[in-house]
Amino acid sequence: MTTLVIAWRNIFRNRRRSALTLLAIVVGAVAVLLFGGFVTSILFGLQTNTVRAIGHLQVFRQGYFEFGAGKPGAYGIKDYARVLRLIRDDAALQPLIRVLTPTLQVFGIAGNFAENTSRTFYGRALIPSDRLRMWAWDGLGIGNTSLRQLAMSDDDRDGGVIGVGLARILHECAALKVLNCTDGPSEADVSPDLPAEDFSSLIEIDPPASSGAAVDRRPKIDLLAATVAGAPNVVTLQLNGVERQGAKELDDNYVLMHLDLGQRLLYGRGEHQVTGLVIQLHHSSDVAGARRELRRLFAAQGLDLDVRDYTELNPFYLQVIAMFGAIFGFLAVIMGVIVLFTVVNTMSMSVMERTAEIGTIRALGLRRSGVRRLFLAEGLVLGVLSASLGLLVGLGLSFLVNRAGLTWTPPTSVDPVPLRVMVAGNPLLLAGCWFGLVALSALSSLLPANKAARLEVVDALRHG
Amino acid sequence: MTRTSSLPPPGDIVVRLRDVSKTYLLGAVAVPGLHELSLEIGRATFSVIVGPSGSGKTTLLNLIGGIDRPSAGTVEVAGQDLGGLGDDRRSDFRARNIGFIFQSFNLIPVLSAYENVEYPLLLTRVAAAERRRRVMALLDAVGIGDQSRRRPNQMSGGQRQRVAIARALVKDPVLVLADEPTANLDSRTGAQIIALMHAMQTRCRTSFVVSSHDPQVMEQADETFTIRDGALIDRHCRATS
Ligand SMILES: Nc1ncnc2c1ncn2[C@@H]1O[C@H](COP(=O)(O)OP(=O)(O)OP(=O)(O)O)[C@@H](O)[C@H]1O
Ligand SMILES: [Mg+2]
Repeated sequence: MTTLVIAWRNIFRNRRRSALTLLAIVVGAVAVLLFGGFVTSILFGLQTNTVRAIGHLQVFRQGYFEFGAGKPGAYGIKDYARVLRLIRDDAALQPLIRVLTPTLQVFGIAGNFAENTSRTFYGRALIPSDRLRMWAWDGLGIGNTSLRQLAMSDDDRDGGVIGVGLARILHECAALKVLNCTDGPSEADVSPDLPAEDFSSLIEIDPPASSGAAVDRRPKIDLLAATVAGAPNVVTLQLNGVERQGAKELDDNYVLMHLDLGQRLLYGRGEHQVTGLVIQLHHSSDVAGARRELRRLFAAQGLDLDVRDYTELNPFYLQVIAMFGAIFGFLAVIMGVIVLFTVVNTMSMSVMERTAEIGTIRALGLRRSGVRRLFLAEGLVLGVLSASLGLLVGLGLSFLVNRAGLTWTPPTSVDPVPLRVMVAGNPLLLAGCWFGLVALSALSSLLPANKAARLEVVDALRHG
Repeated sequence: MTRTSSLPPPGDIVVRLRDVSKTYLLGAVAVPGLHELSLEIGRATFSVIVGPSGSGKTTLLNLIGGIDRPSAGTVEVAGQDLGGLGDDRRSDFRARNIGFIFQSFNLIPVLSAYENVEYPLLLTRVAAAERRRRVMALLDAVGIGDQSRRRPNQMSGGQRQRVAIARALVKDPVLVLADEPTANLDSRTGAQIIALMHAMQTRCRTSFVVSSHDPQVMEQADETFTIRDGALIDRHCRATS
């Protein structure tokens, strides 16, 4: 008890020095808290965007993840309606799942006959309403800065969107009225000798438009791919708009279409399959559990299916986490070293100034361990005071930053997320910072405290 | 004053030094502090150690107080051979049995007069009510009762030394050691402090060993030990004067 009282009063005895030490620790705390809060917010934004785009888990045929990109159709999930039903009816999975939706990957060549342009494309076929629901996920509570307006609907089975880069290449910018997008030079200007391209002879099934009465007036492109059976096949995609992609390579290739159109392209008249089942959970923390349950289910049903989570599907995600973790760790270490040196210096000066006092209390009968305890207590009290103050200041500053209402767009993403420093509501960061600083402060006073404890009474007294 | 030849009876001895030497090492040079010094101090006496500067007074008091170890010989206080105690046990022994009064008062600056006097009782874990009773009684006895809340820097030198006397006596020690307690005080205040120490010594029936150059101090002595060059050269007993 008295030890703490003496420690407390000694801190206020040399106000100037204590204030400077306090300031150093507070600055350390604030830097760690604000940056930690910023990193947390970045990672939350990144996770949210990732989960909104690709869900938490995807189910594939065994081997698709490794080799499927070469020939997606060959790794189709047969009778996927049954698999969907199995998952949907599983008592353990049901409460965890927010969206369960089939998806199909398609690769091929996209062409615009009218403009005589073409290029390879990477296409995703999906159910539009499910995709919209996935974009509303907010499991980390970051809020919705941009709810996508998806220019697709479940009824519009021939409609879709393409990347801005692809629109540019295929000369659809003008037709689609895309801002900041000018159509490329026509093929005839670049290399006039090439023969005109036309996929129309390759169409395996009749396009539905030919049977209907109304003619679709939307801009359109043709998609050419090989069916699972190996025959070339073409479908027409009616363009509803563009969707800009974060990475140029993707933007130049990107095609998003209705699941039905993708299936018509890839499977023709054969059985319509999908390449993946996308699962979005309510909470990211359920990923491991849901994955285990899915594997159990597939094994029990003898299904040759594999489950991957979003960190495997998007390795970039873990790389970003590792990078920010390293930066944060670096900053924390620097701050820690500064705090360490400041406290060691302050406590050493305190020991030096109070040498005669140490001699006195030792003569009065305090053991060496009591002297050590006295100075450790002082470091501890100093740590508690400054860490607490640092937490308050950090919280206050984070509040101000968050009120500014800034947004930013994470790398390779198109959708801005709020720029926030998540300090309040980040108990791990707060507790880690507080206990870390208090422990560091106490630890830093260990050296001076031991020095004080080792003093010989007579030598210490002569310092008077 | 006459030279005494008879020693006090052994049961009444509080301090017994036998052939105590203390050699300080200054680098490679050995500086003699005390040389084969033997003496005995009786229970409940007021003893004064006199001697010129550098004669070894402080060294002697440090050895008696158990805050320094002799290079040779034995130091016994209240029947306990201090040489046989480890560091912690010696600290505990001091906490229970020995009071210190210093030349520069050495109060703990962040503690009030009351808390300074209370401090030794916290070291020996005396119960709160008993602490309060003893501290107040002693503060009143040394004439500081009305200033118990003051910090040392709000008090004069004389007042501080009064607090220090109360602090030394509060644990009811068998022995109080005071190294030149009046050296930092003007002579009038010094005289008051010496009178107070003597009064308290009689009242508490404890032994005081005081080193001093001050003739006022020597007047109070039951016994006076004169040392020079680390050796006891004279011992006077007032009772026989
Ligand atoms: N720590 C030390 N290191 C070296 N020599 C010392 C030390 N302490 C005391 N001495 C020497 O021991 C001798 C006795 O010193 P001591 O301090 O005991 O004398 P003193 O009688 O108290 O003197 P004063 O009246 O000046 O206080 C002196 O020669 C002194 O220089
Ligand atoms: Mg001296």
